[in-house]
Amino acid sequence: MKTSRRNSWIIGVAAILVTVVAFPGRLPGQTSAAKSSGATSGSSTQRNVQVYRVDAGDHDLAYSFQVAIYENLIEELNKTKQFERVLRDGDRNAGNIPNLLVLKTTIEKYTPGSETRRAVTTVSGATKLTVRSQLLTSDGKIVLERTVNGEVRFFGSNLQATHNLARNIAKAIQQSTWSGSEQSSAMLGAQF
Amino acid sequence: MNRLFVRRNHRHPYFDGRALIGLCALWFWFGLGALAQSTASPVNANASFSTRATHLLGLENTKHNSDGTLSIHDHTLQFQRDGKAGAEVEITSVRNVFLNEEDKQVGGVPMTLGKAAAPYGGGRVVSLFAHKNYDILTLEYMDVDGGVHGVIFQLTKGKGDLVRNELVARGVLSSSGEEQRTKQSTAEVTHENK
Repeated sequence: MKTSRRNSWIIGVAAILVTVVAFPGRLPGQTSAAKSSGATSGSSTQRNVQVYRVDAGDHDLAYSFQVAIYENLIEELNKTKQFERVLRDGDRNAGNIPNLLVLKTTIEKYTPGSETRRAVTTVSGATKLTVRSQLLTSDGKIVLERTVNGEVRFFGSNLQATHNLARNIAKAIQQSTWSGSEQSSAMLGAQF
Repeated sequence: MNRLFVRRNHRHPYFDGRALIGLCALWFWFGLGALAQSTASPVNANASFSTRATHLLGLENTKHNSDGTLSIHDHTLQFQRDGKAGAEVEITSVRNVFLNEEDKQVGGVPMTLGKAAAPYGGGRVVSLFAHKNYDILTLEYMDVDGGVHGVIFQLTKGKGDLVRNELVARGVLSSSGEEQRTKQSTAEVTHENK
């Protein structure tokens, strides 16, 4: 009785080991989920995006911040691999590229901070940025519209806020249920 | 023995010591000059202007927050990291140059960790004094396809003006909006007062 129980236990462990070795990628739920979501967003990989320069509106935002948001945005969008090509503002090739979307960024709120104040007090001196990000089709239809925040609260320079903001915008675009098809995109545009 | 000693002293008192010291001083002086020449010449051979700078972001194939030498040659603006290949921007492609000031903590990550580890809030007191104003120089330039690029450099206070003036002298536009230098600290104070 004991031997048979031990044998069945050994067989069970061996079966688990074989499964782990044979299907290494299928076991963790997160991995498979991530892969499937990547597959669904595969339709959008055929899309291209042109990033426009940041519109500061009436806000007294330093040019270094505007340029930093723009540059970080291009870098972060490239990292997500959601778009086949990420074009810059003014790129002459944009006219020849099909399925081109345009990313517009408008500053809605800006709270200037101070690195020294953050270091001394911890609770004050945060640099905060709030922007409205719009993803538009070439004919001006809004595909995605989000209000995104970026801030630096404790450590790091003020420009770090632009990096965090760009990462959040790229993440918002990546996590949106926007599939890239014209119909669903129009519907989503209306929802946001 | 005694005679020999007296004769030598009588002939040139202190001569040997003085000559030796003078020779050493000359040798040191020329050696120092030669050393300075040899270290300066490789980087700035044809540069009309060069200064130390930190590349914050924007240049292709150059790490963010990397230190190096920013130099202006005849038609190019070059940033060369210490001992590595440099990145170049054609001055004719630069559309705008902006300058603002920013107050930053000095010492980087090691200093930050040290301040965090200091007991009884000692790190905060250090932070109160361990900050410095820097010039932030922002350039906007166009690539061959017309795409807009932005580059940001951090320079010692006062050096940003020099670089901007050099660029303006070569025909680059300096934005009127940035002529009034944006001071982060001032903006912050006004915000806090609201």
